[in-house]
Amino acid sequence: MLSLIVFLPILAGLIILAVPSSQKQIIRIVTLLAALGQGILAVLIWQGYDPSLPGITASADGSLDGSFQFVERLPWITLDLGTFGTLNIEYFLGVDGLSITMVLLTALISIIGVLSSWTISKQVKGYFILYNLLSTAMMGCFVALDFFLFYVFWELMLLPMYFLIGIWGGPNREYAAIKFFLYTLFGSVFMLLVMIGLYFSVIDPATGNHTFSLVAMASQENYIAGSIFGPESVFWRYAAFIVLFIGFAIKVPMFPFHTWLPDAHVEAPTPISVILAGVLLKLGTYGMMRINFPFFPEVFQASLYVIGVFGVINIIYGAFCALAQSDLKKLVAYSSISHMGYVLLGLAANNSEGMIGALYQMFNHGTITAMLFLLVGVIYDRAHTRQIDKFGGLASYMPVYAGIVTVAWFASLGLPGLSGFISEAFVFVGAFSAEVTRNLAIVSVLGIVFGAAYLLWSLQRMFLGKRKPDAVYELQKDAEGNEIIHFHDWKGKNDLDGRELAMLVPLAAIVIILGIYPMPVLGMITSSINKLVEVLSPVVLTALN
Amino acid sequence: MHNLIQLSIIVLLLPLLSFVLLIFFNRKLPRNGDFLGVGFLAATFGLSAWIFWDVVVVNYDPSFRVAWDFTWIDFGDVPGVGPLQIKMGIFIDNLTAIMLAMVSLISLLVHVYSTGYMSGDKYYGRYFAYLGIFTFSMLGIVLSDNLFAIYIFWELVGLSSYLLIGFFFEKDSAADAQKKAFLTNRVGDIGMWLGILILYSQFHTFGYEEIFQHIKAGDFHMSQAWLTAAGVLLFMGCVGKSAQFPLHAWLPDAMEGPTPVSALIHAATMVAAGVYFVARIFVILTVDALHVIAFIGAITAFMAATIAITQHDIKRVLAYSTVSQLGYMVLGLGVGAYSAALFHLLTHAFFKACLFLGSGAIIHAMHHEQDMRWMGGLAKKMPWTFVTFTIATLALAGLPLTSGFMSKDAILAGALGFAEAEGGGIYFLIPVLGFFSAMLTAFYMGRQIWLVFFGESRTHLKPADSHDDHHGHDEHGHVHEVPWAMRLPLVILAALSVFAVYSPDPLDGAKGWFMHLVPTPETVVAADMGADREDLHKEVVSDVADTGHDGADITQGDSQHKEEHLTEAVAAHGEDSGSGQGHHGDDGHGGSTGHGHDTGHDAAHGEEHHGPVFSDPRQAAIAHAAHENHDHAIMYSSIMVALGIGLALIVYAFRFIDPDKTAQRIRPLYLYSFNKWYWDEIYDATVIKGSLLISKILAWFDSNIVDGIVNGVGALVRKFGTFSGGFDTYVVDGLVNFTAFFVQTSGAAMKKLQTGKVQTYLVLALVAVTGYIIYYFVQLVS
Repeated sequence: MLSLIVFLPILAGLIILAVPSSQKQIIRIVTLLAALGQGILAVLIWQGYDPSLPGITASADGSLDGSFQFVERLPWITLDLGTFGTLNIEYFLGVDGLSITMVLLTALISIIGVLSSWTISKQVKGYFILYNLLSTAMMGCFVALDFFLFYVFWELMLLPMYFLIGIWGGPNREYAAIKFFLYTLFGSVFMLLVMIGLYFSVIDPATGNHTFSLVAMASQENYIAGSIFGPESVFWRYAAFIVLFIGFAIKVPMFPFHTWLPDAHVEAPTPISVILAGVLLKLGTYGMMRINFPFFPEVFQASLYVIGVFGVINIIYGAFCALAQSDLKKLVAYSSISHMGYVLLGLAANNSEGMIGALYQMFNHGTITAMLFLLVGVIYDRAHTRQIDKFGGLASYMPVYAGIVTVAWFASLGLPGLSGFISEAFVFVGAFSAEVTRNLAIVSVLGIVFGAAYLLWSLQRMFLGKRKPDAVYELQKDAEGNEIIHFHDWKGKNDLDGRELAMLVPLAAIVIILGIYPMPVLGMITSSINKLVEVLSPVVLTALN
Repeated sequence: MHNLIQLSIIVLLLPLLSFVLLIFFNRKLPRNGDFLGVGFLAATFGLSAWIFWDVVVVNYDPSFRVAWDFTWIDFGDVPGVGPLQIKMGIFIDNLTAIMLAMVSLISLLVHVYSTGYMSGDKYYGRYFAYLGIFTFSMLGIVLSDNLFAIYIFWELVGLSSYLLIGFFFEKDSAADAQKKAFLTNRVGDIGMWLGILILYSQFHTFGYEEIFQHIKAGDFHMSQAWLTAAGVLLFMGCVGKSAQFPLHAWLPDAMEGPTPVSALIHAATMVAAGVYFVARIFVILTVDALHVIAFIGAITAFMAATIAITQHDIKRVLAYSTVSQLGYMVLGLGVGAYSAALFHLLTHAFFKACLFLGSGAIIHAMHHEQDMRWMGGLAKKMPWTFVTFTIATLALAGLPLTSGFMSKDAILAGALGFAEAEGGGIYFLIPVLGFFSAMLTAFYMGRQIWLVFFGESRTHLKPADSHDDHHGHDEHGHVHEVPWAMRLPLVILAALSVFAVYSPDPLDGAKGWFMHLVPTPETVVAADMGADREDLHKEVVSDVADTGHDGADITQGDSQHKEEHLTEAVAAHGEDSGSGQGHHGDDGHGGSTGHGHDTGHDAAHGEEHHGPVFSDPRQAAIAHAAHENHDHAIMYSSIMVALGIGLALIVYAFRFIDPDKTAQRIRPLYLYSFNKWYWDEIYDATVIKGSLLISKILAWFDSNIVDGIVNGVGALVRKFGTFSGGFDTYVVDGLVNFTAFFVQTSGAAMKKLQTGKVQTYLVLALVAVTGYIIYYFVQLVS
């Protein structure tokens, strides 16, 4: 099941290889079918998922029964290394509450991304092959339970992303692509070192061999005394935590490692922005929850305040930077930085409310930001500019677009009744309830006001009032004398067309439904997070020592 | 499930259904679906009236309540907490039932009125959709049984207010106003949210009842200051939503919305939600928090009244009047006059909605003229509007026989009682500001009535250049009474501004059903939680001493405490006053039996007239003092109202004083009032400009410093690359090449030796042997 959902897009990519590049529509449809297939599989997995099983670590008896689900485990690379023993790399997949939400999100965003890619006309074949590769890599990252496999998927993601931005991007695409590539690579080099260190420090209790299993690494009793990351190796454990954290923080992206994001977003084509913000950023915080924190829980305990401070900086700093932007896409990019700050703050709270809020925020930010970038794409397609000052009064002439923008904008500013509110609310609840992050929670609520400020201001400048004198659109009179909008050299429908509605309406529906009744997603999260909090709690640690 | 709960769920969902249907289908429906909106609201009101009848009329029980909840979010077995669930639910008591009926009635009337007022608008159907979501959110606030739910509906009300203020979004002023309203409210909301977080962090629940019980049981483990902070922060939500100082500036701007919306949202219901919310959490407010609330309310009431007297726009006068009246309500809650404040909320809702709808009728009839300077003489042309507007004005000004008289008087009596019970001094500022505002209220309403309805029409005086309207001058001649859809709501609301609806005794609202059914609840903050209040005592006592107020009328005698040491004075003052101050002292509970007796007496006395018996000594003392001061309050406020109306008549009716010349004479004061105390300018210069400046600086920092470092590192790496490339080419590769070169050249040199000819080798061997022999002999010789 999981193998299928991971490799379905690659399969589609192979089929596309055989299709002549002139058959653009077939290429698009094959990709769409693969994405829809992923979607169906994701729903099946969701339906078959038992939310009472916690995951995170193995069950008390050391087995995976009653912990991870849909497990697939095969030996992959077994090498005899002589004095070092045997190298055991496994093909090991499985889901728990952390990953299943991300699997659902990835499947959803992949479908939206294909629809959004429909208008790509340059080198369609190459584009969709890379797209499918990216899709596989993302999905693989979320279901891999072997560190080596995770690392392979993690690196595999970079390659298509680099080309998708670098070839199909905006004017400054090469700079943005190389910046993204190098930044992420920088983080993953350290990850590689830590991964090797971890391999030699951890044994799988079932076999007695060293292992790359993320499940085994999440239990502190599996760390060998005297090894590099063994319990008493304080320095190396701190060092490993910090470099891993930086590696993941780059992906989040966390201040001060965030500057690749606005550039990448501004240059990337709309579907890639959607995937980047919708899924890739979550890999950073997912990695923290899956790898960084549970492997080195005592260092995590000691770093709560620091992580929280960075979260607050992201929230406030991102909001202020967004306020100053004149390019709508850059504004949305900075809003992503601000909203991912809530995730960091929720994680720093280190309690169930905060962590559930954080994970739920990851999901909600995925859907909401996807909407935001799609909506930016809608106006960019028509007007070929994203300058906020070049519009004005759009609400009169594009009412459906304005309506969905209002939903998305208010979802982003955390209006109750829409999903973003619940996750942010529980991040605050968690952060305030934990004494260590209490003052941070107090400061970060300012983000609520400034978040509303930049969103409402941009809404006003673009949609309300009347057409600005130097606006990029013209007004014409139709037969009945009503004013209608006209974009230069735009042939399509002025207001949203069917394809755009097909992308936006489901997302809006999800945002509204999960804002009113969050349990369909939260229900899968809670037991895993409760387990994670237990694994990370000082009580368990002292008991171990 | 109790049938009232079932009813209330339907009541809550009907307006939401109206919103959903209208937002999607209004263009496809006949009349843009206004009949749907009105119909749904009629059903909502019908069911609310049923609930009201059942609760208020049939049961008539001050302690009536039903509640119901369900698990909304299940967090499972949370480490360190145990099973944790977030519940949502509905809570109905008398106050809920009354609010439910009030909100749905006014909303229904506004719906009906709007069919006339808004007819022909481009987005007519959308307007009714927005009214629907507003009504839904407002009813949600009223019905919620927990802080999380009320916060949700609180923000939704903010959203509907945003949508409706900006209904004419093509006007920049409307778009500015809606943004200002939302952001100002959010500032208040973050305070409210922090207050909620404080309480949640202690009890892991949002439910009112659970929180109250936990606090009563003494489970609040943070310091007393945090509980005060929680109260003040929660109150911040009210400051934003109810437009209290210093977050009041959005409400007058909100008048950019359609006038029926101003009546519904920005006068009667939403802005009152802040007061309702403070009432809901009243029992957890500490004494310090209550003092803050009382002062904020008094300042707001006074400030807004001073601004209202100079405004020209008919709606702005009413808007500032609303701010001022909300100040009264907040003041009332702060001084502990809980029933009175809520009573004023109810009466104000009706008469202010009447005033706004009346002003809407005038604006409608005057073809969108809002400036009172160009009105006048409308009494004859619009008799229905005139009569209903006047009744509501009398109620607002607080003339006897009106509802407003009873409720305002009850608040002012409470304020007087509070000032006495708290020991006078600075606390007397609160009733003084209250009475003074009553005079101002009477004055500006008298001014408004006179400018609008009496005298001659001044339409022709309007300077042409300020004429920003599409209508020509001549059209203004045809002023006519509004249609019945707009007239009927005015009549109903005016009828609800008469005393008889609320109390058989026109002079005492406390004899009526409202104050009986909504009694002041007993605080759950234990008296000894006020034990850290010694500082405040000192302050109060020193104030008393400083001002030479010997407290004779408070303490019934003993004036020796002035000479006593300050600390002792605190105790003495408290004991002597028997007013509860001392009960909060360290020795409060160890006080003399005289205390108990006094308190008991007070309470018994209170019981006779006010209903509840307070075991909390401070509340008992205030209730007692308020009752004692009831007649004083009537007297003072009547004098003030008479003064205000008299002044208005002197200036505007008899023209003994020319208002323009007077304004010139006191120009700085006039401008201060006319420019609304310059709050907009102050905020613009500080908060708004400041935020934008910070954002510019940070954005610069981000793209130049943070990204600059990244690019710098990149450039550095590139430089290093070039260098190492050079090193590689010239040094590393050079070494390799040199080796090769060396080998090559030496090889080339050597290869000459290797000719392959035997003769050459023999010659070489000969040369070598000869050379060796020569060397050997040279050695021997030396």
